[in-house]
Amino acid sequence: MAKIYEDLSSLHRRIKLVQWVVIVLVILVAMFIWKMQVLDYNYFWQKAENNRLREIKLTPQRGLIVDREGKILAKNRASFKLSYIRENVKDRKQSLTRVAQLLSLDKQQLINRLEKYNSLPAFMPIVIKDDLTMEEVAKIESHQIEFPELRLEMEPLRDYPYGSFASHVLGYLQEISLDELRSPEFSGYDVGDMIGKTGIEYQYERDLVGRKGLIIEVVDSLGRKTGEVVQRSPTPGNKVFLTLDFDLQAKAEELLQGREGAIVVLDARNGEILALASYPNFDLNKFIHRFSPQEWTSLIQDQSHPLENRAIRGLYSPGSIFKLVMALAGLDSGRITTRKTFLCTGTTLIYGHPFSCWYEPGHGVVNLISAIQHSCNIYFYNVGRLLGIQTIADYARRCGLGHLTGIDLPGEKAGLVPDPEWKKKNRHEPWYPGETISVAIGQGPLLVTPLQVACLTSLIARRGRKTAPHLLLQVEKRGGVIEKPNSLASLNNDLVSAEEIFEKIITGMWRSVNAGGTGQGARLDGYDICGKTGSTQVISRSTADKLGGQIKTHSWFTGFASRDKPRIVVTVIVEHGGMGGQTAAPIARELFELYRRKYD
Amino acid sequence: MIDRILWRELDWFLLVLIAALTLVGVAMISSCSQGLADNYALRQAIWMATSFLLIFVFLYIDYHFLVEYSIYFYGFLIIVLGGLLLWGEKIAGTRSWLRISFFQIQPSELMKLALLLLLARYFADYRREKITTFDWLLVSGLVALPMLLITLQPDLGTALGLLPLYLGAIFLAGINRKLVVLVIIAGLVIGLLGWNFFLLDYQKERILTVVFPERDPLGSGYQIQQSKIAIGSGGFSGKGYRQGSQSKLRFLPARHTDFIFAVVGEEFGFLGVSLVLGLYAFMMFRIFRCGLKAKDRAGVYICFMVGAVFAFQFFINVLMTVGLAPVTGIPLPLVSYGGSSLFTHLLAISLVENVYMRRFIYV
Repeated sequence: MAKIYEDLSSLHRRIKLVQWVVIVLVILVAMFIWKMQVLDYNYFWQKAENNRLREIKLTPQRGLIVDREGKILAKNRASFKLSYIRENVKDRKQSLTRVAQLLSLDKQQLINRLEKYNSLPAFMPIVIKDDLTMEEVAKIESHQIEFPELRLEMEPLRDYPYGSFASHVLGYLQEISLDELRSPEFSGYDVGDMIGKTGIEYQYERDLVGRKGLIIEVVDSLGRKTGEVVQRSPTPGNKVFLTLDFDLQAKAEELLQGREGAIVVLDARNGEILALASYPNFDLNKFIHRFSPQEWTSLIQDQSHPLENRAIRGLYSPGSIFKLVMALAGLDSGRITTRKTFLCTGTTLIYGHPFSCWYEPGHGVVNLISAIQHSCNIYFYNVGRLLGIQTIADYARRCGLGHLTGIDLPGEKAGLVPDPEWKKKNRHEPWYPGETISVAIGQGPLLVTPLQVACLTSLIARRGRKTAPHLLLQVEKRGGVIEKPNSLASLNNDLVSAEEIFEKIITGMWRSVNAGGTGQGARLDGYDICGKTGSTQVISRSTADKLGGQIKTHSWFTGFASRDKPRIVVTVIVEHGGMGGQTAAPIARELFELYRRKYD
Repeated sequence: MIDRILWRELDWFLLVLIAALTLVGVAMISSCSQGLADNYALRQAIWMATSFLLIFVFLYIDYHFLVEYSIYFYGFLIIVLGGLLLWGEKIAGTRSWLRISFFQIQPSELMKLALLLLLARYFADYRREKITTFDWLLVSGLVALPMLLITLQPDLGTALGLLPLYLGAIFLAGINRKLVVLVIIAGLVIGLLGWNFFLLDYQKERILTVVFPERDPLGSGYQIQQSKIAIGSGGFSGKGYRQGSQSKLRFLPARHTDFIFAVVGEEFGFLGVSLVLGLYAFMMFRIFRCGLKAKDRAGVYICFMVGAVFAFQFFINVLMTVGLAPVTGIPLPLVSYGGSSLFTHLLAISLVENVYMRRFIYV
């Protein structure tokens, strides 16, 4: 390509021209900057001193959370917060002593608080006290001149009018942490902002948070305002409508009062959750402040774990509830038919070990429907033996056990469906056939959440069609624009079995409640409730007897109504509540009754 | 492929200047990213180290080879850019990123290098005293095509980055006055068409704010005001390292990228400014000098266009921070934060060294 004798002289001439132009331009730029920095230094220095800009962020109103009928569950109230601006003081030690004195705060706590934010630039205000009383506000206002480092600001504070109502669903707020502040996910947030940490407050933070307002003020070197550059009003957060029904939720919480347990009420037709209660609960208004360490630790250390949402995080053995899955697996796999009978004498030997029924005299000859009706253990031991653990586990998973239901709440647990592979991996032991017999009646390592049981019930009620449980009804944006959640359309992995299989199981459930079965405590005249009870052994029966029956079994009931037009599903678990029929079923009955009165 | 003796022929002075400027950049980024979410300085330093290693690897390939095959490189990138427009994934509002397994690149940045090599190839055997209208139109087309594709992404800033290559090439090839007038008319026509049919509202707004800064009180007018106060109040010797940015520059959203020069001015005063200006002036001078030493036309064009790219961005950026040019979002090459920009510009320097190193060998 290249030639040896190349005449590049005209190119060289042009390059040299540009070289000179560049040099001259650089010198001109340098002269211009010399003028700015040296000759006009005083002018710019004055401007920098007297023309400082102060940026004030205005916290928007956090979006309201309301129930399906618009009843307000979370709102805001006006309050004052006090921030400390480190760059406004020379001698911080002295300043802190005076501030601590003024507000009767603990000085060491104040120092710790500021030290925590040492890595942040000194102009950023650090909140040192919130929800101030009017006396404190007056005191600070009257001393403002002596304390240029203090800044008093209005702030909307979260307010939960019903205190502990639906506390696990709504979730609580907490001050944003330093790590969160640094992550790109939280760009646009500032030190001291309160963010949703659990529940709906966390899940729909983006909708609830709103957009900050901004004031840029011109201030002089003493911090006095001399003008305003720009103002943008804050935009309130969106209004979040939940699927919760206030009355049902209130009733569910009332029924759980004084116990430990959970209740899920959902609409089988669309997966809308009408009530999701977990007890004991806690007062949400305890979490609206940035500073409440004592209440915190007492809640965390409480033996009854009030902060845990038992409905989606409580892991329980399903007990006899699991017999529904067994029946489905048996019929669908063709291993049993509805005509198949087994003899229950109250006890039986399987693989050389004695297994007993909960009803000591025995149920006599039982078929599938009466086995569900009376919750006969012997019948399902035999079904379990016929099916084997792998088939049982497969069907349990197809019914949604061992998987997250996908509810729009953080922290849901998936539970556990055991199989030989799981045991080998986690316990380094082979599967023993005897364990299959335990799993067959919902004991053993099998673990489920109340929400999963509710979904399982809904699956049976809808004859094999799955539901996606959710709490978000709709979001109302500014100007009344309604946005419905998408992606909540029906799940397409329905359990395809013959409808008559479900009809048989439902017949058993109907008889359990309406024909003198274990679930008769839930019976309601003129309402076709179908249900199943469960009582899970926390310890073996003989040990319980020795302890004088102090420790009772967990009490389960799950059911739906009505039989032909399934609409409502109710799942109840009461820890140490005794037999499922005694405690959980009557609780469910009250909820069915309330639902019928209100909606049917 | 490479003789060991060639290493001695490198322009080491230029490399030292580059390294010094990049290090100044890292130090300033560290100063003004206090309290920001990420460790930008560390990231920039890592980019710097890798890019410097790649400079030397890149030197093994004779630039004649690169120039020879530039047409394929160019064509390939045109196809990629077109494909991105059709099937690209939208990241941060534009379709400019190409994701290859775990890392992502901007083909539009690589286009700068491809176009540079292609123009060098076009003029490698061009011995006329002035460029003919036909050649000028052809070259304009070659530049306009990628510019159009990148503008549609939409990424106007990167598209404008191709302009100095074009202006440099046709200036070097020799333009006559008739042509200059034609260029201006064509520019006006394209501008009018673009305004009415292609530019998005936010881009129009951005251009309008350049002309009328008061349209956006939170935006450019305010930024320039802050930037000027920062530089002016720096005085002769500055406020000291890490002492300046806190109170004044914290309102500048792009202080570690577009306005980094203002941070230099505030913290190190006129002394710091002179140092950066001096380093830059020497660097540009050396790049052009490499062009004067090159043995053939392709080499001359490469060096000159690289110099033009640096000079164009340098002046626009510096004049912007002192309030003499509109805010356009063009960073200060090598100093401002930005990994892919640093990488591309260091590869450009590597091309210059490539030319300079092989100035005595005749093929």
